[in-house]
Formats: sequence, structure tokens, C-alpha cells
Amino acid sequence: MKGLELGVDHERRISRAQQLLLNAAGSLHSTAFVNVGDVIPVDHEAGFLRYNAETGDVVVGRVTEVGGNRWKVDVNSRKDAELLLAAVNLPGGIQRRRTAIDELNMRDLYVENDLISAEVQSLHQDGSLHLHTRSLKYGKLGNGQLVKVAPYLIKRLKQHFHQLKDLGVDLILGCNGFIWIAGTSAPGQKDNKRSGSVVTSASAAEGESAVQFEVRERICRLANSVRVLGALGLLVSPESIIQTYEASLQFKVKVKDMLSADFYVKLAEKIAEQRTKR
Amino acid sequence: MGAISAAEVSYIEGGIAQNLRSDGRGRLDFRNIAITTGVIPQANGSSRCKVGGTDVMVSVKAELGNPPKGRPSHGGMQIKVECSPTANPEFEGRGGEELSLELTRGLERSFLGGPNGSGAAIDLSTLRIVDGKTCWVLCIDGLVLSSDGNLLDALSIAVKAALRNTGLPKVEVVAGGAEDEDPEIEVDDEESSQLDVSNAPVIITLTKVGKSYFVDATAEEESHMRSAVSVAVNRKGVVCGVTKRGGEGLEPSTIIDMISVAQQIALTYIPALDLQIAAAESVDPDS
Repeated sequence: MKGLELGVDHERRISRAQQLLLNAAGSLHSTAFVNVGDVIPVDHEAGFLRYNAETGDVVVGRVTEVGGNRWKVDVNSRKDAELLLAAVNLPGGIQRRRTAIDELNMRDLYVENDLISAEVQSLHQDGSLHLHTRSLKYGKLGNGQLVKVAPYLIKRLKQHFHQLKDLGVDLILGCNGFIWIAGTSAPGQKDNKRSGSVVTSASAAEGESAVQFEVRERICRLANSVRVLGALGLLVSPESIIQTYEASLQFKVKVKDMLSADFYVKLAEKIAEQRTKR
Repeated sequence: MGAISAAEVSYIEGGIAQNLRSDGRGRLDFRNIAITTGVIPQANGSSRCKVGGTDVMVSVKAELGNPPKGRPSHGGMQIKVECSPTANPEFEGRGGEELSLELTRGLERSFLGGPNGSGAAIDLSTLRIVDGKTCWVLCIDGLVLSSDGNLLDALSIAVKAALRNTGLPKVEVVAGGAEDEDPEIEVDDEESSQLDVSNAPVIITLTKVGKSYFVDATAEEESHMRSAVSVAVNRKGVVCGVTKRGGEGLEPSTIIDMISVAQQIALTYIPALDLQIAAAESVDPDS
């Protein structure tokens, strides 16, 4: 398991749990060279280690270049995706033709290294990928942290934006394996970022209120839940994340101890037990 | 690891100030450390150390050489670090040179001791064979396999473990050689002696962000680092070397405070590491 050293005892317990999981999954060959805990539909032709985009996917990406009339965004795919200036909502909210001044002001929207959420608009013959943020729910991300998992662990669902109201946390499960976990932003703030007056990236960072300690703790616990699921090769869905989150509370594990061999093993055993009972 | 956005930076800074980092650790918490020894059978000593996602390997080869000038009864030690392209595509070709040099210097400063041989990680007189003519020279080579921050600390743990794992072959000096000739040495393949690394230091790096400092930075936290102080301390809390990294300046009082924090941490951290290294040694079948 990458990044984790297990003692002999832990190794034995984890392989036993994995065996149970595979048995519960049904009659499938296990010639996999990655950790697989779930039945994961894989398109062999396309390959599965890199993200293979499909139109309509929600993705989380990092801006790598700004210029021309487009941003280049890294979405963990073979090529960087493109976000055309024509495909974003201009500040001011009105629809109009993009002018040369808009091009010069691109930096006011997104700069290099910014994290954004967007939707895949189209896939082209040459393999290039076009994104758009033509909705208020897409745009720059802040007040939280990014966790990366293998793209094949994210199933395409109806909803990729999840608001965990009782935890005060927003969850974005990007189909490309990038998962964003942040504190729920106040409704007023969100509007400010998208439409409204031009917001520079510097002032946006200051304007966002600091994350409270309780919310931060929940974000950390959720982030570690995602990391553990990713390492064990289990599908990452809002249900599995919350299940892992609650298991960690049930086992009275401190947030920082969630990444220890002990919790990995306990979780694997618990899920194996659940699946075999079904 | 590349740079991160301004929003992520302010989130990380907030976390450090609140003593709750991105993976739930506090400012003085280390990640999981895994140590294995004897990983390179052809070397006299070797070890592999993983700290979270950082993975480094160290090998020690003992070669016959000449004692340093002015210290005829001492042996020699050389350290060199290389960054493998598997850790980061930027390390391809000459890309990793600057980092390799910085890591090499950091380790040299901590393990090699002063010009008269004092303060070295091990007692250099244990490496002598024939005074003034022949001695053991330990060539210590470090390799960075995977980088997720805190390379210097991980390398120092691996060096200490590799030295503990090192077996110095027993030597016999063939008698009857002429005074000015190089003596003949017979190296025994079977028997070897272990080195005493109880006084060897381990490096603890304290990174400063905002008003607080923390140990064991991940690559994300490091990418935003503006200044860090790496302190080599041994298990008694004695400081063996200090390196300041990063472009931002530090007040002298801050540096002194960071050194004392490192000394405090060392008192519990290093004995725990020593136990882990000893445990790794006992698992290893052919040390």
C-alpha cells in the first residue's frame, strides 16, 4: 500500500479483509495490480490510470497558464484542459461579446495555480478537452483543501456537489479524482465571487473569512476519510465518505491517527464484515 | 509538487495557526516513520526510510583509504545525496543538482564534524587501521526516491540507521612490511564489527510560517515555506549542526528559540527513533 508500512500482523489482517471484500464482490478475476476493494467498471480501451473525460463531467482543476483568450487547466488527464474566455461568466453577469479589454483582464478572474470547479463542455478529435463555468456553482475554490485519488474510484453520479449541512462542509467530487472539501461559504460571499464587481484574486483570498476550528476539524476528518478510502481502493462516494467519517468517530480515532495502520485495518475489516453480511 | 493557489495558502496558514494541519496533525507531530535496514546486500550498510510520502534510501560502503592530514589515527567519512527522477520529473538530468547539493551540505554539516574530527556522528578513531597510512573511509550515498517534503530529516534518519547497520570487516595487517611502503591489509570476509551510533544526530527541521513553527512539513506546506531552520541534535540534546534555509530573514531570537524547541523535541523523539532502528535491525536476517 503506497505510503504506509504495515507490520506483519496488520498485513495479515488487511489481506484477509481484502479477500472477504473480493469474495463479496462476486465472481471476478483479481489479476488487478492496484488495490481494489469494490466492483469498479473499467473501460479497458481507454486505460484507467489517467482521467478520461466525458461531456458533462464535473471536474476540479488547477490553472496552469493564462493567456490568449483561454486558460489552460490541469485536470489529471493526458493533456491540460482549456477554458475559453467565451466559456466563463463575465463579472457583471451580463452577456456580451468579449472584447480585447476582457482578454487583458483575464487575470482578474483566474490566475496560475488557482483551483476551479468546472464542467466538461466538449471533447475534440485531437484529444483536447474544453471546459466551461457557465453556472453560478462553478468557479474559483477557497477555504478548504484538495485531496487527490485515482480517477477510477469516482463513479459518475447525478450530483457532484454535496452540501453536508449538519457538518457545515461542502464537498465537490471531481470526476477526475480531485476532491475539494471546504467549509460552506455564506451565501452573500459566493455571489460576490461570481457576478458582482470585478474581484481580484488577492482581495478574494482576504475577503473569505478564516475557517473556524470546529469546521476545520471536520474538513480534516473528511479529508483523511477520503485518503484512507483512496489507499484501500474503495469507491469514493458521499455515502462511503460519511460512513468512514462516522466509523472514525465510532472507533474514537483522533484525526491525525486516521492515517495510521491501525485505522486502515479496522476500517477494512468493518467494511468487509458489512459486505459479507449483506 | 507544484505551487498552490493563494486560497489554499491562506487555508494552510490558518491551519498552522490553529494547530490543526491538513492531515489533522498538530505543529509538533511527525508523520508515520517507517525504517528498514539491510536493503542493499552488496553495501556494508544500508537503510530505507519513509516519512509519509517521502521515501529515501542510504547506502554505506567502507573502502580503504588514507587518513585525513593532521589526524593520522582517524578514519574518513564522505556523504553525497542524489535526487532520482522518479521522485519528480524536474530532477531529470541536471535539474536535481541544486537540491542534491543543498541536501548534501546539510548532511555534511551535521554528520562529519569539525576540522579536527570532533563532533562527528561516530568516533572516527574506530575507523583506524594503520596510523598515518591506512584507514577506513565510509562513503555514504543517499538517494531520494519519492519527495513529499522534509527530505533532510528523512535522510538523516536513514543515514543514522545505515551506519548502525554497517558492518566493518575485520582487518589484519600483514607484518614484516618496509617502513615507507604501504602496509598489506588482509580483509576478512567473515567477521565484521558494528559501529557505535549512539551519539549520531538526527536532523529536525522547523519551518516557520506566519508566527508559528512546525516540524515535518509536507511538500504542500514546504512550497510556501519562506524560512526554515534544520537542527541536528543527538539523543542527549546536544546540537551538532544548524542550517538555515529559505530566502526570508529571521531574527536571532527566533533562531535561538527554534533551536531550543528542536532540542526539546529531540529528548523524546530520538530515543523512539533509536528503538525503531534497533527493531528494524533485529528483523533483518543478514545484518
